[in-house]
Amino acid sequence: MSDEHAGHHPVNYFIIFLILCFCTFMSVVFDFVKIDNKILLIVLVMSVATAKALFVMTYFMHLKFEGNWKFVLLAPTVALAMGLPLALLPDVGLHYYQRDVPQMHDEVTAHAEKADEKPMATQKKKH
Amino acid sequence: MGLPIPNSKLGMWLFLGTEIMFFTAFIGANLVLRIGSPGWPTDPDVTHIKIWAGGLNTFVLITSSYCVVIAHEAMIAKNFKKARVYLAWTFALSCLFLGIKGSEYYGKFDHDILPGHIAENDEQAINKVTREMEAAVNSQMARHGLKGKALADKRTALQAAIGKQSGGNKTQLQVLAVFDAEFAELKRHARDNVSLSIPFSKFEERRKTLTAGAKLPPLTLHEVQEHVTKLKADEQLKSLMSSVHDPHPIPYGNLFASTYFIMTGFHALHVVIGMILFGMVLMQGSKLDSNWNDWVENSGLYWHFVDLVWIFLFPLLYIV
Repeated sequence: MSDEHAGHHPVNYFIIFLILCFCTFMSVVFDFVKIDNKILLIVLVMSVATAKALFVMTYFMHLKFEGNWKFVLLAPTVALAMGLPLALLPDVGLHYYQRDVPQMHDEVTAHAEKADEKPMATQKKKH
Repeated sequence: MGLPIPNSKLGMWLFLGTEIMFFTAFIGANLVLRIGSPGWPTDPDVTHIKIWAGGLNTFVLITSSYCVVIAHEAMIAKNFKKARVYLAWTFALSCLFLGIKGSEYYGKFDHDILPGHIAENDEQAINKVTREMEAAVNSQMARHGLKGKALADKRTALQAAIGKQSGGNKTQLQVLAVFDAEFAELKRHARDNVSLSIPFSKFEERRKTLTAGAKLPPLTLHEVQEHVTKLKADEQLKSLMSSVHDPHPIPYGNLFASTYFIMTGFHALHVVIGMILFGMVLMQGSKLDSNWNDWVENSGLYWHFVDLVWIFLFPLLYIV
């Protein structure tokens, strides 16, 4: 049965392996080059990681040779997987308020003192 | 009419679907927490993250993935000997992966980069030094058989023992008494938040000279760092100070450690499960035949997924 559905695929796996090694090497190079622009660094290394993931899924996991069932099966899980990070992002990641946590205590105190100095009208407008 | 794949493969893909959600929850939580935490630790000197270890482990997993895919091809071609060789390589590489990961974990434990153990501001760093010194005092007291409910009782027992003992033992107990006195002095300064430049015995005297509302100069982290360095350099005390870490606050260090260990820990657990799957095939030895084709294919899919997770963990934890 296995031979019927998973026959030999015309893929040079060694080439894929070399590409993956090259991509890993590039990720390490990006770290050693010391790119000051953090956004650029994130875009570069995550693009390389995505490319590596696509190579592994397409060739090593044989998704290139599978039918359309792969989209039906994987799309809902990927969509659901995004749920938790997206749900947490507004409150935990992009909070508009100053949090009073030990790590930021000095900043919070300075912020509060600064706010106290402002006339009430200004503070109300801000809210 | 069902899907044109065997049930076992469908089962594996459904399982991998749940695994995508499982790991995305951890990776997503790490990203969100990181975005919301200004000053998240990324400096390798602080986090003790080694890029070479992460890069090497990535190479190891990619190579093992390649070995699995070749082993599967060999199974289809009924070349079971070749399949066994490549699966053995996969198994060996997964051992290497865990070894490198283990050495990284050792570094984290050694530097106390553990969830809930990291001081995140100056006050916490100072308190951590006093806690670690207290633990060292208690441990040494227990080693010398000095018993008592409270530390005060143990101190009384220590003084009594110094009076009774002689020779090397007496010297050891005297050194312990000096160390305990250093701990007690630092704890008083930390409790009252008074600079080390004023000895505890002068606290009251100096307070009387202050004007109303004024305070004695506060204890600073810099002072404590210098004091710890001095004690660690002391020939007599350095062995007792070995369990006391240098006080360096790491803002958001605990969140970093929590997410680091939960992501890499669960990934390592998946590696162990993969080793069991491949180990069961290898245990067949020369009896390995086509009946194991589906097993190898599905274990291979699982293993590639483990590789896939690491492909994203590597840049997130080691580079960005």
